[in-house]
Amino acid sequence: MAATAKHEGRLRLSLFAAFFCLWIFAICGRLLWLQVVEYGFLTQKAARQQQRSIEVSPPRGVIYDRKGRELAMSVQVDSVFAVPSEIPDQASTANLLAHILKIDPKEMLAKLESSRSFTWIARKLDNNVAGRIRALNLKGIYFQKEPKRFYPKNDLAAQVIGYVGMDDEGLAGIERSFNQRLSGRPGKMLISMDARHRWFGRVEKNPEPGQNLVLTIDEDVQHIAEKELDAAMQKTHAEAGTVVIQNPKTGEILALANRPTFNPNNSRGLDPKSLKNRAVSDVYEPGSTFKMVTIAAALEEKVTSPNEVFDCQMGSIVVGGVRIHDWKPYGLLTVSQILERSSDVGAIKIAMRLGEDRMYKYIRGFGFGSQTGIELSGETRGITKPVNRWSKMSIGAISMGQEIGVSPLQLVSMTSSIANDGVWTPPRIVAGSTSVAQGRTGTAQTVVFRPGQQHRVISSFAAAEMKRMLEGVVLQGTGKNAILDGYSSAGKTGTAQKINPLTHRYDRVKHIASFSGFAPVNNPAITVTVIMDSPLGEHHGGTIGAPIFARIAQQVLEYLDVPHDIEVRNPQRMLLRAKAKPEEEMEGSPDHVGEEVAENDNQQEPPAIVASAAQPGGQGIVPATYHSVTAAETEHAAPADGNPALLQSSKSLLAKTGTVVLDVDAAKTVPSFLGKPVRAVIEESEKAGLEVDIFGSGVARQQNPMPGARLPTGGHVTVQFAR
Amino acid sequence: MRRFISFRDFDWVLLAFVLIICGIGVLEIYSATRQTKFIGFQQKQIYWIMAGLFLMFLVSMVNYQALLENVHWFYIASILSLVGVALVGTRVLGAKRWIRLPGGQHFQPSEWIKIVLILALAKYFSDLAGREVTLRDIIKSFLIAGIPMALVLKQPDLGTALTYVPILICALFLGGIKLKHAVGILLLGTMMIYPVWRWGLKPYQKARLTSFSEPEADPRGSGYQIQQSLIAVGSGGLIGKGALKGSQTQGAFIPIPYTDFIFAAFAEEHGFVGALIVLLLYFIVLMRLIQNAQTAPDRAGTLIIMGVVAVLVFHILVNVGMVVGFMPVTGIPLPLMSYGGSSVLFTFLALGIVNNIRMRRFVN
Repeated sequence: MAATAKHEGRLRLSLFAAFFCLWIFAICGRLLWLQVVEYGFLTQKAARQQQRSIEVSPPRGVIYDRKGRELAMSVQVDSVFAVPSEIPDQASTANLLAHILKIDPKEMLAKLESSRSFTWIARKLDNNVAGRIRALNLKGIYFQKEPKRFYPKNDLAAQVIGYVGMDDEGLAGIERSFNQRLSGRPGKMLISMDARHRWFGRVEKNPEPGQNLVLTIDEDVQHIAEKELDAAMQKTHAEAGTVVIQNPKTGEILALANRPTFNPNNSRGLDPKSLKNRAVSDVYEPGSTFKMVTIAAALEEKVTSPNEVFDCQMGSIVVGGVRIHDWKPYGLLTVSQILERSSDVGAIKIAMRLGEDRMYKYIRGFGFGSQTGIELSGETRGITKPVNRWSKMSIGAISMGQEIGVSPLQLVSMTSSIANDGVWTPPRIVAGSTSVAQGRTGTAQTVVFRPGQQHRVISSFAAAEMKRMLEGVVLQGTGKNAILDGYSSAGKTGTAQKINPLTHRYDRVKHIASFSGFAPVNNPAITVTVIMDSPLGEHHGGTIGAPIFARIAQQVLEYLDVPHDIEVRNPQRMLLRAKAKPEEEMEGSPDHVGEEVAENDNQQEPPAIVASAAQPGGQGIVPATYHSVTAAETEHAAPADGNPALLQSSKSLLAKTGTVVLDVDAAKTVPSFLGKPVRAVIEESEKAGLEVDIFGSGVARQQNPMPGARLPTGGHVTVQFAR
Repeated sequence: MRRFISFRDFDWVLLAFVLIICGIGVLEIYSATRQTKFIGFQQKQIYWIMAGLFLMFLVSMVNYQALLENVHWFYIASILSLVGVALVGTRVLGAKRWIRLPGGQHFQPSEWIKIVLILALAKYFSDLAGREVTLRDIIKSFLIAGIPMALVLKQPDLGTALTYVPILICALFLGGIKLKHAVGILLLGTMMIYPVWRWGLKPYQKARLTSFSEPEADPRGSGYQIQQSLIAVGSGGLIGKGALKGSQTQGAFIPIPYTDFIFAAFAEEHGFVGALIVLLLYFIVLMRLIQNAQTAPDRAGTLIIMGVVAVLVFHILVNVGMVVGFMPVTGIPLPLMSYGGSSVLFTFLALGIVNNIRMRRFVN
């Protein structure tokens, strides 16, 4: 009995132990469930209640010019936030902050009361304001560094670069069109809170900086363009102005300036007029500059030749039943002279011979009526009617640049195609992008620019003829103000009446004066287009546009170290240019259509000029284009001795791609080889770490790239030698 | 009959494991209080442990037989102290549980009554001396446990009152209750659930008891503590967030992480592995105690040790069960780990009695 009781006791003890073990197992199972299976979910839950994440804006990518100089960058500034639950006296804190930030104390108090754990007080403050807040040493007020966009060059290329809003979002220009690449990824600021909402430390996920962009813009060239445009605006009192400078071979935009302009550092309350990038978004009637298209097309289609003589019918022609007057009555003029003197009647006659379909084909071929694809937002296609919507008189109007809407950029591209042997190259303004590895700045980064899809519009033969004729415009025609010192230049003037937006008729007072040209003529380094909108008083392309072109082109060519292709301070050219200055009406009245023709005072050109124009050789002024002239055209054939020789073959040798090298230790500066013998050039290039491609013999006459350009190690420099 | 009592027979293995658990507890108290106003509690806990050790050795010297013979005096003193609390006790958080002592310390009689109950019930059932347990015995034992329980419930202190239940059940079970009586009590208890629920409990007590089953229903109220505890344990993962790095613990999301929820704090910082190790340590300690119960010199000794085991098991299971969401929040501390003088002193006193019995296992 006792034994069984004892046995029973043992059994009950074991039962007790077993019950305990069971419980332990159950708890272990539960722990396994919570800590392994539910781990992720519960961790998330923990994070959600413990941390509040606040976005930290990433540093926006830097926008560089082609030489690695910052045009837009981000600087770290202070933002202020509050953890209201830590503030002992919210009312007085709100008062102090409101006083410094100059806002309503009530508004500030409302901010502090809106959240217990976090609220922004003010973002991206000036250093001195942040300093004053910091000096107060308020409890519960904290500082966070945030990047703020800064434009070190202020209004330089403002419409190209654009500007950003408060949260660093690109609102215009490159800032807008490349917003995504520039922005990077925002980081996270984690504020960890305990159950009583006291902040006890924070962890940050670093924001990912945006990509850097390299523009084809050259800050110095841009500066020249802006400076000259400013001066011209002052002088002409124009409403607006645009200058575009392009490398005709690669399509790179070296400078793009618009007036009026703005300072992107101060982007509040801007005038929309100043924000407008006229070069890409303005549509205007080009006027006489469009005759380049008409005549280039006619030459390419071989419906005429430069020396064919047209009867300009003493300045009057009837097209589609409408009489069109020339600004000045001309009799017989060669095609070259039609261009030089900008005869509307001549252009119309040539266009009529060409026909509507062929005319339209070349209009589109030169890029009108479609976007150039430049990396800027708001680009216009222009206004180009298809042939089936042309009226009887359209061919006449279009031949002289009316009834068609183009953007300044399209005009630059067209001019560049003539400069570039008839090959149209899409204009480009972004050379490339680089991503900055974190913590590494100032390291070598090279961006190689590749031109876009090119296409041939006219043959190089027709282009050469056009170049010569356009040089004639400068030397003998309406563009004498575009004569440069030491460089040959070519281009076309344009004076167009503006259409009054209210009446839809041509305005009698407002004109657009323009000049589009390139230099040097044989191996063009730059195309420059100048468009002045509604200058007061004097309003002709030849008197307004051409001088601006000359001043800009002269400085830019010298800045680029482009070798002189003609004698410096050539007295005859100087004289010619000096004569051109006082001539008030180089081009006379603007192009008119039909009954709106204004009466022209028949101001005769000084006969001496006309005479000299007819025989340029006799005047001793030798166009740089002499080499392109066919053997038959003997009057231009003989090159003058002492004129720095330009080799016919040089153009084909020079590379068609430009290289933008963004700063850097690894990059080599191209030395000047000019005037040096072959041996010295080879030695020097070895020292510089560059390869030379040698053509010809003698001393170096030409090189590409120009001295001072930067190339990656081992880059090629083409050098042309001549005796 | 007296034989030489030697500390060689003291259960040093048991003490070693107990001290390991106490050490872990001290470290976790440090971690859980270092960012609060309770900073430095680990030092106080060490003092309590030292006092507990002293008490343990002291108690192990006094023959438990002598304690048993005088248990009725202890019992009367206990009842009087509870009445005293009801009359002159300090009211803290709405409950009168403490008597302020001249030294500035607070004395909580309800803790000590556990020991007295263990001894009293052990004496009662061992005095039966092999006789079958009658219904009369059962009613008597219910009264022995019921009177102090009613007084503690009156304070009100539901948690402590509940700890008396396992003592009674253990004593009845091991005292030799007949199966039919056990089943009868079980049925009666089940039938009592509804009336007690309906009229016996205060709303906040009900809320506490239900919230554990669905903590989401009331995340701001009583469910909040369980919710936070679960998040802490779960986010600890397999190996934990590391010492001093538990965000739930350091950020004061876990309620009272140095006492009742110390296991949650530990599980967050040391993960599944750490929690398992601690449970294993408790398991070893309890198994060691049960072994001591089996080798006790007499029936009374076995019953006393098993009474201690019952109290400890109840504490551990209810406390850990609460932390992992099995049990309602009842304010029952985890013995040896949780901060608190009364808890530490009671545990060591109980262990002293266990050793007292073990050291005399060869006496009879």
